[in-house]
Amino acid sequence: MIRFENITTEYFSSLSFEIKEGSVCKIIPASDEKKKNLLNIITGIKEPISGKVFLFGEDIYSMFEKKYIKLFHRIGLVLENGGTISNLKAWENITLPVWYHKGKKPEDMEGRIIGIFEELGISRSYLGELMGKLPGPLPIHEKRIIGLIRAMLMEADLMIYESLFEGLSPELAQRLITLTEKFHLEKAGRSSVYITTNELPLKDLKADVVLRL
Amino acid sequence: MQIINIQKVGENVINALRDSKGYYKLFCYFIKNLLVLKIAPIRSVLYKQIYFTGIEAINKVSIIGILIGIVIITQVTNIAGSDTILIGKILTWTVVRELGPLFVAIIVITRSGTAVTSELASMKINREIESLRIMGINPVDYLIVPRIMGITLSVFILAFYFQILAIAGGLVFSSILWRIPFMYYLKGIFSALSISEIAVSLLKSLVFGLLISMVSSYQGFSVKASITEIPQAGIRAVMQSLFMVFIFDGIITLITFL
Repeated sequence: MIRFENITTEYFSSLSFEIKEGSVCKIIPASDEKKKNLLNIITGIKEPISGKVFLFGEDIYSMFEKKYIKLFHRIGLVLENGGTISNLKAWENITLPVWYHKGKKPEDMEGRIIGIFEELGISRSYLGELMGKLPGPLPIHEKRIIGLIRAMLMEADLMIYESLFEGLSPELAQRLITLTEKFHLEKAGRSSVYITTNELPLKDLKADVVLRL
Repeated sequence: MQIINIQKVGENVINALRDSKGYYKLFCYFIKNLLVLKIAPIRSVLYKQIYFTGIEAINKVSIIGILIGIVIITQVTNIAGSDTILIGKILTWTVVRELGPLFVAIIVITRSGTAVTSELASMKINREIESLRIMGINPVDYLIVPRIMGITLSVFILAFYFQILAIAGGLVFSSILWRIPFMYYLKGIFSALSISEIAVSLLKSLVFGLLISMVSSYQGFSVKASITEIPQAGIRAVMQSLFMVFIFDGIITLITFL
């Protein structure tokens, strides 16, 4: 699914690893700068000095922009800050990619979205209020949940979680771990990658591979 | 004391040429990718843009249109006296050929141009453009194509609306103030209004709408990383939009009426 071949940047020297299909992987970079650099390389924002990055067997830095963007139909990336769009309400943020790529109307996803929020212990009454808000003033954990549900609705083959559990209450962190583990098993061959500088929230997460960078 | 900073002038010219190349590439991209407007979320952005630029501006365009009509008919009557046919012609020529498209362009630049630039610039600085990419959504398709279409359509329709109100407003005012039935002006109006006059007016509106939307979008996307660039991009968008609107107004007028 993800393969790094001799990647060299200002933070890494000849870094090589592979995350296979269907695996759960924890990546623990030593610093926030390394974490950001790693994500920038995976998402194509910053090209490495040397080396190659393969996503689904394709070298992402030798692709045309349009083909590269299409690759992200199969990737669900949950950023630390949620990755929300500021001029769209929470509901619109959640339903945007599925509406865009699969033509599914936002109303058709309502049941699934409510179900996920209930698994996270968020009441329907608060949910109704939350969905109509713009994401700017929301607390960080709500933005992350919006980003998470948005990625889950795309039924991605590769899920990447950036510092998903940091700064959360233990109860909410545990609910999110359970949710992501359950989601991982829902599709055969789905890979899940947890990238964080703080390993403590992930101590109960069962992983096939642990990489310390 | 140096009155003209030659280096600054040179820098501005180079920046303008670089930006013009960018506007041309954006225009070509827009034309080649019009079909993305079939995608429902992109159409939603288009409708919001038409609402914000077109529908929300109707009140202001109405008031300014009527006032312009009153001002023109007052001035022309002062010069031309009681020649209602001549007054009708001048009112029509002035409003249809020039003031309609120009005034609407200025209103849209000040309302929508700055808003679009600021919005896109802050999205760029807050890395929301990257968020769209990682959702598999091309940011130019989703953010810019519908804005260009929405602003262009709005300017096109608002200009037409402005012209009707300006002419009607002037005639009604004249009939109230000078007790000249507005029917007397109609011969002058209809003799001035030809298919070519209307076509040129519509062409100007279309071109102005394209220019305003492309300049605003391009300048919004051109910011790098600092929040201080947002107001700078807004100022550049307004100045370049105004500049290009007046240049193209001159070019179209020279080509069509000389």
